[in-house]
Amino acid sequence: MLVIQHLTKVYPNGTHALDDVSLDVASGEFVVLIGLSGSGKSTLLRCINRLVEPTSGSVVFDGQDVTAAGGGELRRIRRQMGMIFQQFNLVKRTSVFSNVLAGRLGYRTTVATFSGHASRDDVQLAFENLQRVGILDKTYQRADALSGGQQQRVGIARALMQKPRLMLADEPVASLDPATSHSVMKYLEEINKKDDITVICSLHFLSLARRYGTRVVALNAGRVVFDGAPAEIDERRFKEIYGEDAVEVEIGPVAS
Amino acid sequence: MADYFRARGLAVPPELDRHWYTDWRRLITVSTALVVLGIGFQLTDFDPRHLQFDYAPKILAQLARPDVSVCGPQNEYETWLDGACGLMVVTIFLGIVATLIAVVIALPLSFLAARNLMTGHPVTAAIYTLVRFVFTVMRSIDVLIVVILAAVIFGIGTAAGIMALAFHNVGVIGKLYSEAIEGIETGPIEAITATGANRLQVIWTAVVPQLVNPFISFTIYRLDTNVRLAPILGYVGGGGIGVMLFQNIQLLNYRATSFIILLIIATVAVMDFLSAQVRKRLA
Repeated sequence: MLVIQHLTKVYPNGTHALDDVSLDVASGEFVVLIGLSGSGKSTLLRCINRLVEPTSGSVVFDGQDVTAAGGGELRRIRRQMGMIFQQFNLVKRTSVFSNVLAGRLGYRTTVATFSGHASRDDVQLAFENLQRVGILDKTYQRADALSGGQQQRVGIARALMQKPRLMLADEPVASLDPATSHSVMKYLEEINKKDDITVICSLHFLSLARRYGTRVVALNAGRVVFDGAPAEIDERRFKEIYGEDAVEVEIGPVAS
Repeated sequence: MADYFRARGLAVPPELDRHWYTDWRRLITVSTALVVLGIGFQLTDFDPRHLQFDYAPKILAQLARPDVSVCGPQNEYETWLDGACGLMVVTIFLGIVATLIAVVIALPLSFLAARNLMTGHPVTAAIYTLVRFVFTVMRSIDVLIVVILAAVIFGIGTAAGIMALAFHNVGVIGKLYSEAIEGIETGPIEAITATGANRLQVIWTAVVPQLVNPFISFTIYRLDTNVRLAPILGYVGGGGIGVMLFQNIQLLNYRATSFIILLIIATVAVMDFLSAQVRKRLA
Protein backbone atom coordinates (compact mmCIF):
# COMPACT_ATOMS: atom_id res chain seq x y z
CA MET A 1 0.00 0.00 0.00
CA LEU A 2 2.95 2.29 0.64
CA VAL A 3 5.97 2.10 -1.61
CA ILE A 4 9.00 4.22 -0.75
CA GLN A 5 11.83 4.20 -3.24
CA HIS A 6 15.31 5.67 -2.97
CA LEU A 7 14.13 8.37 -0.61
CA THR A 8 16.83 10.87 0.28
CA LYS A 9 16.62 14.01 2.36
CA VAL A 10 19.43 16.51 2.75
CA TYR A 11 18.62 19.47 4.98
CA PRO A 12 19.89 22.93 3.99
CA ASN A 13 22.58 22.70 6.70
CA GLY A 14 24.03 19.66 4.91
CA THR A 15 22.68 16.92 7.20
CA HIS A 16 21.92 13.72 5.33
CA ALA A 17 18.80 12.75 7.29
CA LEU A 18 17.73 10.02 4.87
CA ASP A 19 20.07 8.18 2.56
CA ASP A 20 18.47 6.08 -0.16
CA VAL A 21 15.67 4.56 1.89
CA SER A 22 13.45 2.02 0.16
CA LEU A 23 10.54 0.40 1.94
CA ASP A 24 7.46 -1.52 0.93
CA VAL A 25 4.66 -1.52 3.49
CA ALA A 26 1.72 -3.89 3.02
CA SER A 27 -1.80 -3.14 4.17
CA GLY A 28 -2.49 -4.08 7.79
CA GLU A 29 1.12 -4.08 8.96
CA PHE A 30 2.25 -2.53 12.23
CA VAL A 31 5.69 -1.23 11.33
CA VAL A 32 7.89 0.01 14.14
CA LEU A 33 10.75 2.35 13.27
CA ILE A 34 13.66 2.21 15.66
CA GLY A 35 17.05 3.87 15.76
CA LEU A 36 19.03 6.43 17.69
CA SER A 37 17.95 10.04 17.98
CA GLY A 38 18.88 11.73 14.72
CA SER A 39 18.83 8.50 12.75
CA GLY A 40 16.09 9.83 10.46
CA LYS A 41 12.91 8.30 11.92
CA SER A 42 11.03 11.61 12.19
CA THR A 43 12.22 12.76 8.79
CA LEU A 44 11.08 9.51 7.18
CA LEU A 45 7.60 9.78 8.72
CA ARG A 46 7.33 13.43 7.66
CA CYS A 47 8.44 12.67 4.11
CA ILE A 48 5.58 10.18 3.80
CA ASN A 49 2.97 12.96 4.16
CA ARG A 50 5.41 15.63 2.95
CA LEU A 51 5.48 17.77 6.04
CA VAL A 52 9.14 17.58 5.07
CA GLU A 53 9.97 17.87 1.38
CA PRO A 54 12.20 14.97 0.29
CA THR A 55 15.28 15.85 -1.76
CA SER A 56 14.88 12.93 -4.12
CA GLY A 57 13.14 9.58 -4.39
CA SER A 58 9.46 8.75 -4.44
CA VAL A 59 6.62 7.85 -2.11
CA VAL A 60 3.60 6.14 -3.61
CA PHE A 61 0.54 5.64 -1.44
CA ASP A 62 -2.19 3.38 -2.87
CA GLY A 63 -1.12 4.15 -6.40
CA GLN A 64 -1.05 7.91 -5.75
CA ASP A 65 2.34 9.51 -6.18
CA VAL A 66 2.74 11.61 -3.01
CA THR A 67 6.05 13.13 -4.03
CA ALA A 68 4.63 14.42 -7.33
CA ALA A 69 1.29 15.67 -5.97
CA GLY A 70 0.67 19.39 -5.82
CA GLY A 71 -1.66 21.60 -3.74
CA GLY A 72 -5.14 20.12 -3.58
CA GLU A 73 -4.06 16.63 -4.59
CA LEU A 74 -1.47 16.52 -1.80
CA ARG A 75 -4.10 17.61 0.74
CA ARG A 76 -6.46 14.85 -0.44
CA ILE A 77 -3.65 12.31 0.04
CA ARG A 78 -2.75 13.75 3.45
CA ARG A 79 -6.26 13.39 4.76
CA GLN A 80 -6.02 9.62 4.21
CA MET A 81 -3.03 9.50 6.57
CA GLY A 82 -3.50 10.29 10.23
CA MET A 83 -0.55 11.47 12.25
CA ILE A 84 0.20 11.66 15.95
CA PHE A 85 3.18 13.31 17.59
CA GLN A 86 5.52 13.04 20.55
CA GLN A 87 4.39 16.43 21.88
CA PHE A 88 0.74 15.71 20.95
CA ASN A 89 0.60 19.03 19.05
CA LEU A 90 -2.88 19.97 20.19
CA VAL A 91 -4.11 23.54 19.97
CA LYS A 92 -3.86 24.06 23.72
CA ARG A 93 -6.18 27.00 24.24
CA THR A 94 -9.16 25.42 22.53
CA SER A 95 -11.39 22.64 23.73
CA VAL A 96 -10.80 18.93 23.31
CA PHE A 97 -13.85 18.89 21.06
CA SER A 98 -12.48 21.57 18.68
CA ASN A 99 -9.18 19.74 18.52
CA VAL A 100 -10.84 16.49 17.56
CA LEU A 101 -13.09 18.20 15.04
CA ALA A 102 -9.99 19.74 13.41
CA GLY A 103 -9.22 16.25 12.11
CA ARG A 104 -12.04 16.79 9.58
CA LEU A 105 -10.51 19.96 8.08
CA GLY A 106 -9.27 18.15 4.98
CA TYR A 107 -12.89 17.33 4.14
CA ARG A 108 -14.26 20.81 4.80
CA THR A 109 -14.29 24.00 2.75
CA THR A 110 -12.40 27.06 3.92
CA VAL A 111 -15.65 29.01 4.30
CA ALA A 112 -17.15 26.28 6.48
CA THR A 113 -14.01 26.41 8.62
CA PHE A 114 -14.31 30.16 9.20
CA SER A 115 -18.02 29.92 9.99
CA GLY A 116 -17.13 27.42 12.70
CA HIS A 117 -20.20 25.37 11.98
CA ALA A 118 -19.54 21.64 11.91
CA SER A 119 -21.87 19.27 10.12
CA ARG A 120 -24.05 16.86 12.09
CA ASP A 121 -22.09 13.89 10.77
CA ASP A 122 -18.77 15.39 11.83
CA VAL A 123 -20.05 16.13 15.32
CA GLN A 124 -21.41 12.59 15.58
CA LEU A 125 -18.08 11.17 14.45
CA ALA A 126 -16.20 13.36 16.94
CA PHE A 127 -18.25 12.00 19.83
CA GLU A 128 -17.77 8.44 18.62
CA ASN A 129 -14.01 8.86 18.49
CA LEU A 130 -13.86 10.59 21.87
CA GLN A 131 -15.83 7.71 23.33
CA ARG A 132 -13.54 5.24 21.67
CA VAL A 133 -10.37 6.64 23.27
CA GLY A 134 -12.20 6.98 26.59
CA ILE A 135 -12.18 10.74 27.11
CA LEU A 136 -15.81 11.59 26.42
CA ASP A 137 -16.06 13.20 29.87
CA LYS A 138 -13.26 15.66 28.95
CA THR A 139 -14.95 16.84 25.74
CA TYR A 140 -15.46 20.47 26.73
CA GLN A 141 -12.26 20.97 28.71
CA ARG A 142 -9.35 22.96 27.41
CA ALA A 143 -6.81 20.68 25.78
CA ASP A 144 -3.97 21.78 28.06
CA ALA A 145 -6.00 20.85 31.16
CA LEU A 146 -5.54 17.17 30.30
CA SER A 147 -2.69 14.86 31.33
CA GLY A 148 -0.12 13.73 28.78
CA GLY A 149 -1.75 10.38 28.15
CA GLN A 150 -5.16 12.00 27.73
CA GLN A 151 -3.73 14.57 25.32
CA GLN A 152 -2.22 11.81 23.21
CA ARG A 153 -5.63 10.11 23.12
CA VAL A 154 -7.10 13.38 21.85
CA GLY A 155 -4.38 13.26 19.20
CA ILE A 156 -5.46 9.74 18.23
CA ALA A 157 -9.12 10.79 18.12
CA ARG A 158 -8.18 13.75 15.90
CA ALA A 159 -6.31 11.46 13.52
CA LEU A 160 -9.20 8.96 13.48
CA MET A 161 -11.54 11.77 12.36
CA GLN A 162 -9.75 11.63 9.01
CA LYS A 163 -10.92 8.01 8.59
CA PRO A 164 -7.34 7.26 7.62
CA ARG A 165 -6.02 4.07 6.10
CA LEU A 166 -2.50 4.77 7.31
CA MET A 167 -1.48 6.07 10.73
CA LEU A 168 1.89 7.74 11.18
CA ALA A 169 3.05 7.96 14.79
CA ASP A 170 6.18 9.95 15.62
CA GLU A 171 7.43 8.75 19.02
CA PRO A 172 3.86 8.75 20.36
CA VAL A 173 4.83 7.58 23.85
CA ALA A 174 8.26 9.20 24.34
CA SER A 175 6.76 11.88 26.61
CA LEU A 176 4.69 9.46 28.67
CA ASP A 177 5.31 7.20 31.65
CA PRO A 178 5.48 3.40 31.10
CA ALA A 179 1.91 2.59 32.16
CA THR A 180 0.43 5.38 30.04
CA SER A 181 2.70 4.35 27.17
CA HIS A 182 1.10 0.93 27.08
CA SER A 183 -2.41 2.35 27.20
CA VAL A 184 -1.66 4.59 24.21
CA MET A 185 0.08 1.77 22.32
CA LYS A 186 -2.94 -0.44 22.90
CA TYR A 187 -5.17 2.09 21.15
CA LEU A 188 -2.80 2.00 18.20
CA GLU A 189 -2.85 -1.80 18.27
CA GLU A 190 -6.64 -1.76 18.37
CA ILE A 191 -7.07 0.55 15.38
CA ASN A 192 -4.50 -1.56 13.53
CA LYS A 193 -6.33 -4.84 14.17
CA LYS A 194 -10.00 -3.82 14.32
CA ASP A 195 -10.08 -0.99 11.78
CA ASP A 196 -7.39 -2.46 9.57
CA ILE A 197 -5.45 0.81 9.61
CA THR A 198 -1.80 0.33 8.69
CA VAL A 199 0.48 1.81 11.36
CA ILE A 200 4.01 3.15 11.03
CA CYS A 201 5.26 4.11 14.46
CA SER A 202 8.66 5.24 15.67
CA LEU A 203 9.66 4.11 19.16
CA HIS A 204 12.61 4.42 21.49
CA PHE A 205 12.07 1.24 23.49
CA LEU A 206 12.82 -2.04 21.80
CA SER A 207 10.58 -3.82 24.30
CA LEU A 208 7.62 -1.82 23.01
CA ALA A 209 8.66 -2.57 19.43
CA ARG A 210 8.73 -6.30 20.18
CA ARG A 211 5.40 -6.19 21.98
CA TYR A 212 3.39 -4.22 19.40
CA GLY A 213 5.18 -4.40 16.06
CA THR A 214 4.58 -6.97 13.36
CA ARG A 215 7.68 -5.69 11.62
CA VAL A 216 10.66 -3.65 12.73
CA VAL A 217 12.64 -1.30 10.52
CA ALA A 218 15.83 0.09 12.01
CA LEU A 219 17.54 3.23 10.77
CA ASN A 220 21.08 4.32 11.38
CA ALA A 221 22.41 7.58 9.93
CA GLY A 222 19.53 7.71 7.48
CA ARG A 223 19.97 4.16 6.15
CA VAL A 224 17.87 1.05 6.72
CA VAL A 225 20.12 -1.31 8.70
CA PHE A 226 17.50 -3.88 9.65
CA ASP A 227 14.12 -4.85 8.28
CA GLY A 228 12.40 -7.92 9.61
CA ALA A 229 10.39 -9.57 12.37
CA PRO A 230 10.76 -8.20 15.92
CA ALA A 231 12.01 -11.57 17.19
CA GLU A 232 15.00 -11.49 14.82
CA ILE A 233 16.66 -8.67 16.73
CA ASP A 234 19.29 -10.39 18.85
CA GLU A 235 22.29 -9.04 20.73
CA ARG A 236 24.42 -8.68 17.58
CA ARG A 237 21.72 -6.90 15.56
CA PHE A 238 20.97 -4.66 18.52
CA LYS A 239 24.58 -3.45 18.58
CA GLU A 240 24.50 -2.90 14.83
CA ILE A 241 21.53 -0.61 15.26
CA TYR A 242 22.40 1.24 18.42
CA GLY A 243 26.20 1.01 18.44
CA GLU A 244 28.72 -1.10 20.40
CA ASP A 245 28.25 0.68 23.74
CA ALA A 246 24.47 0.36 23.88
CA VAL A 247 22.73 -1.71 26.52
CA GLU A 248 19.09 -2.63 26.13
CA VAL A 249 16.75 -1.25 28.78
CA GLU A 250 13.24 -2.49 29.37
CA ILE A 251 10.14 -0.43 29.75
CA GLY A 252 7.92 -1.77 32.52
CA PRO A 253 5.61 -4.76 31.98
CA VAL A 254 2.23 -4.35 30.36
CA ALA A 255 -0.21 -3.07 32.95
CA SER A 256 -3.58 -4.64 32.42
CA MET B 1 40.32 28.14 51.31
CA ALA B 2 42.86 28.62 48.51
CA ASP B 3 45.25 26.33 50.43
CA TYR B 4 42.79 23.47 50.05
CA PHE B 5 43.30 23.59 46.29
CA ARG B 6 47.08 24.16 46.42
CA ALA B 7 47.55 21.24 48.82
CA ARG B 8 45.91 18.94 46.26
CA GLY B 9 47.73 20.38 43.27
CA LEU B 10 44.51 21.84 41.83
CA ALA B 11 44.12 25.18 40.11
CA VAL B 12 42.83 27.80 42.55
CA PRO B 13 39.51 29.39 41.48
CA PRO B 14 40.36 33.06 40.72
CA GLU B 15 37.65 34.42 43.04
CA LEU B 16 39.36 32.73 46.02
CA ASP B 17 42.80 34.09 45.17
CA ARG B 18 41.78 37.74 45.15
CA HIS B 19 42.00 40.53 47.74
CA TRP B 20 40.14 43.80 47.51
CA TYR B 21 43.35 45.81 47.19
CA THR B 22 44.71 43.67 44.34
CA ASP B 23 41.39 43.30 42.52
CA TRP B 24 41.98 46.05 39.97
CA ARG B 25 38.64 45.48 38.20
CA ARG B 26 36.71 46.19 41.37
CA LEU B 27 38.89 49.20 42.19
CA ILE B 28 38.33 50.67 38.74
CA THR B 29 34.56 50.12 38.95
CA VAL B 30 34.23 51.77 42.34
CA SER B 31 36.48 54.72 41.51
CA THR B 32 34.71 55.29 38.17
CA ALA B 33 31.34 55.40 39.93
CA LEU B 34 32.70 57.95 42.44
CA VAL B 35 34.17 60.16 39.71
CA VAL B 36 30.93 60.10 37.68
CA LEU B 37 28.91 60.99 40.79
CA GLY B 38 31.29 63.88 41.59
CA ILE B 39 31.08 65.30 38.04
CA GLY B 40 27.30 64.94 38.16
CA PHE B 41 26.95 66.93 41.36
CA GLN B 42 29.16 69.70 39.93
CA LEU B 43 27.38 69.96 36.57
CA THR B 44 23.79 69.77 37.82
CA ASP B 45 24.55 72.14 40.68
CA PHE B 46 22.76 69.80 43.05
CA ASP B 47 22.58 71.42 46.47
CA PRO B 48 19.96 70.35 49.04
CA ARG B 49 20.27 73.80 50.69
CA HIS B 50 18.30 75.20 47.74
CA LEU B 51 15.22 73.19 48.72
CA GLN B 52 12.68 75.50 50.37
CA PHE B 53 11.79 73.62 53.51
CA ASP B 54 10.02 76.58 55.13
CA TYR B 55 7.69 77.08 52.13
CA ALA B 56 6.77 73.41 51.68
CA PRO B 57 4.50 72.96 54.75
CA LYS B 58 2.21 75.82 53.60
CA ILE B 59 1.74 74.23 50.21
CA LEU B 60 1.27 70.78 51.73
CA ALA B 61 -1.39 72.19 54.05
CA GLN B 62 -3.33 73.46 51.05
CA LEU B 63 -2.84 70.20 49.15
CA ALA B 64 -4.29 68.38 52.15
CA ARG B 65 -7.61 70.19 51.63
CA PRO B 66 -8.66 69.32 48.06
CA ASP B 67 -11.29 71.61 46.55
CA VAL B 68 -14.13 69.36 45.46
CA SER B 69 -16.01 72.20 43.78
CA VAL B 70 -13.69 72.12 40.70
CA CYS B 71 -15.28 68.77 39.80
CA GLY B 72 -18.24 70.46 38.08
CA PRO B 73 -18.69 73.59 35.87
CA GLN B 74 -17.33 76.85 37.33
CA ASN B 75 -19.77 79.38 35.78
CA GLU B 76 -22.88 79.53 33.58
CA TYR B 77 -20.83 79.30 30.38
CA GLU B 78 -19.18 75.98 31.28
CA THR B 79 -20.72 72.51 30.97
CA TRP B 80 -19.89 69.41 33.02
CA LEU B 81 -17.25 68.50 30.46
CA ASP B 82 -15.28 71.64 31.40
CA GLY B 83 -15.05 70.64 35.07
CA ALA B 84 -12.26 68.45 36.40
CA CYS B 85 -14.43 65.29 36.51
CA GLY B 86 -15.65 65.84 32.94
CA LEU B 87 -12.09 66.47 31.74
CA MET B 88 -10.93 63.31 33.47
CA VAL B 89 -13.52 61.32 31.49
CA VAL B 90 -12.38 63.07 28.29
CA THR B 91 -8.79 62.16 29.13
CA ILE B 92 -9.68 58.50 29.70
CA PHE B 93 -11.32 58.41 26.29
CA LEU B 94 -8.30 60.17 24.81
CA GLY B 95 -6.23 57.18 25.95
CA ILE B 96 -8.81 54.70 24.64
CA VAL B 97 -9.10 56.29 21.20
CA ALA B 98 -5.31 56.55 20.85
CA THR B 99 -4.94 52.87 21.78
CA LEU B 100 -7.58 51.77 19.28
CA ILE B 101 -6.01 53.78 16.46
CA ALA B 102 -2.62 52.28 17.29
CA VAL B 103 -4.05 48.73 17.37
CA VAL B 104 -5.69 49.14 13.95
CA ILE B 105 -2.37 50.25 12.43
CA ALA B 106 -0.09 47.89 14.38
CA LEU B 107 -2.12 44.69 13.90
CA PRO B 108 -1.35 44.13 10.20
CA LEU B 109 2.17 45.52 10.51
CA SER B 110 3.04 43.21 13.40
CA PHE B 111 2.80 40.16 11.13
CA LEU B 112 5.37 41.80 8.84
CA ALA B 113 7.67 42.24 11.84
CA ALA B 114 7.52 38.59 12.99
CA ARG B 115 10.80 36.83 12.37
CA ASN B 116 9.34 33.33 12.03
CA LEU B 117 7.02 34.43 9.21
CA MET B 118 9.30 36.79 7.32
CA THR B 119 12.86 35.45 7.20
CA GLY B 120 12.23 32.78 4.58
CA HIS B 121 12.86 34.95 1.51
CA PRO B 122 15.22 37.92 0.89
CA VAL B 123 12.34 40.27 -0.03
CA THR B 124 10.24 39.44 3.02
CA ALA B 125 13.36 39.59 5.18
CA ALA B 126 13.95 43.14 3.92
CA ILE B 127 10.36 44.11 4.76
CA TYR B 128 10.81 42.54 8.19
CA THR B 129 13.93 44.59 8.88
CA LEU B 130 12.28 47.79 7.65
CA VAL B 131 9.07 47.38 9.68
CA ARG B 132 11.06 46.47 12.76
CA PHE B 133 13.24 49.55 12.31
CA VAL B 134 10.18 51.78 11.94
CA PHE B 135 8.68 50.28 15.12
CA THR B 136 11.90 50.93 16.99
CA VAL B 137 12.06 54.55 15.86
CA MET B 138 8.40 55.17 16.75
CA ARG B 139 8.92 53.58 20.13
CA SER B 140 12.15 55.28 21.02
CA ILE B 141 10.87 58.83 20.69
CA ASP B 142 9.28 59.63 24.02
CA VAL B 143 5.55 60.39 24.03
CA LEU B 144 6.07 63.86 25.51
CA ILE B 145 8.41 64.84 22.68
CA VAL B 146 5.96 63.52 20.09
CA VAL B 147 3.14 65.50 21.74
CA ILE B 148 5.18 68.72 21.59
CA LEU B 149 5.83 68.11 17.90
CA ALA B 150 2.19 67.19 17.23
CA ALA B 151 1.00 70.31 19.11
CA VAL B 152 3.27 72.41 16.91
CA ILE B 153 2.10 70.71 13.72
CA PHE B 154 -1.63 70.21 14.40
CA GLY B 155 -2.18 72.88 17.03
CA ILE B 156 -2.70 72.48 20.76
CA GLY B 157 -5.58 70.22 21.85
CA THR B 158 -6.84 66.67 22.27
CA ALA B 159 -6.30 65.88 18.58
CA ALA B 160 -2.57 66.45 18.97
CA GLY B 161 -2.55 64.33 22.11
CA ILE B 162 -4.35 61.45 20.43
CA MET B 163 -2.14 61.55 17.33
CA ALA B 164 1.05 61.59 19.38
CA LEU B 165 -0.05 58.83 21.76
CA ALA B 166 -1.21 56.69 18.84
CA PHE B 167 2.08 57.25 17.00
CA HIS B 168 4.18 56.10 19.92
CA ASN B 169 1.91 53.13 20.57
CA VAL B 170 2.09 51.76 17.04
CA GLY B 171 5.74 51.12 17.81
CA VAL B 172 5.09 49.57 21.21
CA ILE B 173 2.03 47.49 20.29
CA GLY B 174 3.63 46.41 17.01
CA LYS B 175 6.61 45.05 18.91
CA LEU B 176 4.48 43.30 21.53
CA TYR B 177 2.22 41.69 18.90
CA SER B 178 5.09 40.57 16.70
CA GLU B 179 6.80 38.97 19.67
CA ALA B 180 3.58 37.11 20.46
CA ILE B 181 3.53 35.87 16.87
CA GLU B 182 7.17 34.79 17.14
CA GLY B 183 6.31 32.86 20.27
CA ILE B 184 3.64 30.58 18.83
CA GLU B 185 4.09 26.84 18.92
CA THR B 186 4.77 25.22 15.57
CA GLY B 187 3.56 21.75 16.66
CA PRO B 188 -0.16 22.46 16.15
CA ILE B 189 0.59 24.00 12.74
CA GLU B 190 2.34 20.80 11.72
CA ALA B 191 -0.49 18.64 13.08
CA ILE B 192 -3.25 20.60 11.34
CA THR B 193 -1.28 20.61 8.08
CA ALA B 194 -1.04 16.82 8.37
CA THR B 195 -4.85 16.51 8.42
CA GLY B 196 -4.96 17.82 4.86
CA ALA B 197 -6.05 21.36 5.74
CA ASN B 198 -5.13 24.22 3.41
CA ARG B 199 -3.07 27.25 4.43
CA LEU B 200 -6.00 29.44 5.48
CA GLN B 201 -7.53 26.60 7.49
CA VAL B 202 -4.19 26.03 9.22
CA ILE B 203 -3.89 29.71 10.15
CA TRP B 204 -7.48 29.89 11.38
CA THR B 205 -7.30 26.66 13.39
CA ALA B 206 -3.72 26.49 14.66
CA VAL B 207 -2.37 30.07 14.64
CA VAL B 208 -5.26 32.42 15.52
CA PRO B 209 -6.29 30.62 18.75
CA GLN B 210 -2.72 31.00 19.97
CA LEU B 211 -2.75 34.77 19.35
CA VAL B 212 -6.15 35.95 20.58
CA ASN B 213 -5.36 35.93 24.28
CA PRO B 214 -1.88 37.47 24.12
CA PHE B 215 -3.15 40.19 21.76
CA ILE B 216 -6.04 41.10 24.04
CA SER B 217 -3.76 40.98 27.05
CA PHE B 218 -1.16 43.30 25.47
CA THR B 219 -3.87 45.68 24.27
CA ILE B 220 -5.36 46.02 27.74
CA TYR B 221 -1.90 46.52 29.19
CA ARG B 222 -1.24 49.36 26.73
CA LEU B 223 -4.71 50.82 27.33
CA ASP B 224 -3.88 50.96 31.01
CA THR B 225 -0.52 52.61 30.32
CA ASN B 226 -2.02 55.10 27.88
CA VAL B 227 -4.77 56.22 30.23
CA ARG B 228 -2.00 56.70 32.78
CA LEU B 229 0.05 58.78 30.33
CA ALA B 230 -2.88 60.83 29.02
CA PRO B 231 -3.19 63.30 31.95
CA ILE B 232 0.43 64.41 31.50
CA LEU B 233 -0.03 65.09 27.80
CA GLY B 234 -2.05 68.22 28.55
CA TYR B 235 1.03 69.71 30.14
CA VAL B 236 2.80 69.95 26.81
CA GLY B 237 -0.23 70.77 24.63
CA GLY B 238 -2.01 67.45 24.30
CA GLY B 239 -5.37 68.49 25.80
CA GLY B 240 -7.38 66.78 28.52
CA ILE B 241 -7.16 67.15 32.29
CA GLY B 242 -3.44 67.92 32.12
CA VAL B 243 -4.24 71.39 30.81
CA MET B 244 -6.39 72.11 33.85
CA LEU B 245 -3.72 70.74 36.18
CA PHE B 246 -1.09 72.95 34.53
CA GLN B 247 -3.28 76.06 34.76
CA ASN B 248 -4.12 75.55 38.41
CA ILE B 249 -0.48 75.10 39.36
CA GLN B 250 0.39 78.29 37.47
CA LEU B 251 -2.41 80.13 39.31
CA LEU B 252 -1.10 78.78 42.65
CA ASN B 253 -4.49 77.12 43.13
CA TYR B 254 -3.15 74.28 45.22
CA ARG B 255 -6.50 73.12 46.59
CA ALA B 256 -7.85 72.63 43.05
CA THR B 257 -4.52 71.07 42.03
CA SER B 258 -4.84 68.62 44.89
CA PHE B 259 -8.30 67.50 43.78
CA ILE B 260 -7.13 66.97 40.18
CA ILE B 261 -4.13 64.95 41.32
CA LEU B 262 -6.34 62.78 43.53
CA LEU B 263 -8.70 62.28 40.59
CA ILE B 264 -5.81 61.14 38.40
CA ILE B 265 -4.46 58.81 41.10
CA ALA B 266 -7.89 57.26 41.58
CA THR B 267 -8.36 56.75 37.84
CA VAL B 268 -4.93 55.17 37.39
CA ALA B 269 -5.47 52.90 40.39
CA VAL B 270 -8.83 51.71 39.05
CA MET B 271 -7.41 51.15 35.56
CA ASP B 272 -4.45 49.30 36.99
CA PHE B 273 -6.69 47.03 39.04
CA LEU B 274 -9.11 46.31 36.18
CA SER B 275 -6.32 45.65 33.70
CA ALA B 276 -4.56 43.27 36.09
CA GLN B 277 -7.82 41.40 36.74
CA VAL B 278 -8.66 40.98 33.08
CA ARG B 279 -5.12 39.95 32.14
CA LYS B 280 -4.99 37.43 34.97
CA ARG B 281 -8.07 35.73 33.57
CA LEU B 282 -6.58 35.64 30.08
CA ALA B 283 -3.33 33.99 31.10
